[in-house]
Amino acid sequence: MDNLEYLFAANVFVWGGIFYYLFRIKRFQQSLQNDLDLIKEAVKKGSQDE
Amino acid sequence: MSDEKQDSSSILTWLTVITFLIAMVAIFVYVPTEQTEGAVQRIMYFHIPAAWLAFFAFFVVFLSSILFLWKKEREWDIYALASAEIGVIFCSLVLITGPIWARPIWGAWWVWDARLTSTLILWLIYVSYLMLRHQTDMGSMRARFAAVLGIVGFLDIPFIHFSVLWWRTFHPPPKMISPEGLGTGMDPSMVSTLLLSLGAFTLLYFVLMGQRIKVEMMRDEVERLKKDHLYSN
Amino acid sequence: MTIIWKDFITEIKTRELFSSMFIFALLVVIIFIFSINLSLIQASEVGPGVLWVAFLFAGTIGLNRSFMLEKENGCLQGLLLAPMDRTALYFGKLVSNFVFLLIMEVFTLPLFMVFFNIDLLPHLLPLLYVIFVGTLGFCAVGTLLSSLSANLKTRDIMLPILLYPLIIPIIIGSVKMTGQVLAGEPLSSMMNWVSLTLCFDIIYIAISIMVIDFVLEE
Repeated sequence: MDNLEYLFAANVFVWGGIFYYLFRIKRFQQSLQNDLDLIKEAVKKGSQDE
Repeated sequence: MSDEKQDSSSILTWLTVITFLIAMVAIFVYVPTEQTEGAVQRIMYFHIPAAWLAFFAFFVVFLSSILFLWKKEREWDIYALASAEIGVIFCSLVLITGPIWARPIWGAWWVWDARLTSTLILWLIYVSYLMLRHQTDMGSMRARFAAVLGIVGFLDIPFIHFSVLWWRTFHPPPKMISPEGLGTGMDPSMVSTLLLSLGAFTLLYFVLMGQRIKVEMMRDEVERLKKDHLYSN
Repeated sequence: MTIIWKDFITEIKTRELFSSMFIFALLVVIIFIFSINLSLIQASEVGPGVLWVAFLFAGTIGLNRSFMLEKENGCLQGLLLAPMDRTALYFGKLVSNFVFLLIMEVFTLPLFMVFFNIDLLPHLLPLLYVIFVGTLGFCAVGTLLSSLSANLKTRDIMLPILLYPLIIPIIIGSVKMTGQVLAGEPLSSMMNWVSLTLCFDIIYIAISIMVIDFVLEE
């Protein structure tokens, strides 16, 4: 039986879905880390000024 | 302390990757091709674990929701959110791979079969759960509402199961624990491959949970720092 | 008790909600008649479905209104401050929603009978039982969710989105039972549906009582 294209399509969706989700989480983590660093720096500056 | 945590999470990640690699080899090389269905039958090794994972994730939402209402600790809310998101992702994968398998085998993308229908309804419930979370502002109200919906939604599952089953009475009786006759009509190599894939997906769930929880913790940290330092002066 | 009375008195004075629900249900039935070809399809096959869709849509309007009015007038705050059990608030709202919907349904039935040429009279008692149980389940979940969605900015949209997936079991059950009742079968021949819908009603009323405190918390 030749229905490999269906198997292929299913795999594309499964792996695409999982990696897209992982990628999105990682991007969130990065942007939040940036925010954290920025805030911490700002806090440090603020305390030095005083 | 935090290093230790980092270590255990990276060990988990690597374990997941290795299990997945072994599972892939088993799925595409080791396991024999099914006689009647052909290559497309290999979808099953993704489809069933994804379905299991979605259901497991929704169960975790239910438990965390109860624990949140009971203990009122923010971490249970985070667990519920992370689990609901992962559950919806895998439920979507189930709903996508199902029709892809059904098209060559049944000759139709979608049949209003009992299990398909109940998966779709389940997906709708938890999508609405996530929508509720997005629509509500951060804070205790959102967590409480989401927890209520998480409990009410999970309790609906038995009703959905039976009503959809009786709705289409021509469907053969479902085998709850053993979908598609796990272990009965199957070659031992198929059973072991399926179990391997189940294990890999379960590990993946914990990896995703860990990462998703981390995002939410970081968001909390940002909010807290902002409140403490930026707005006060 | 007082909440139920208050809702009734307001309603009797204005008759606003009831008329809009009734006309809406009527419109849904009529639109269905236009969108399906009744010369091809047997009226008794689509009838129960159309009837329940009409009840469902009209009921959603009623539910949307039930907590929104309180919210807008700031009454909810007052009700919550009053030394009263939250459960009583839920019950009051449940009963008033339920009774309004039942009255509306009793008015819709004769029109349905005329439009679809289905003779309801010989099956009236079991039919009323089915409507009673189905509507109660719908209102039990609906009242809980409307108390929740009343606090959202997008409450009109969120209520159906949250509510409809959850009440699919009761809708399937009610439509099936209505169809069988209209076909002349006794209720005892569909005990599985009867028990499913009854369980649904009981469990959802019970669970609503358990969680309503968390929803209405300030």
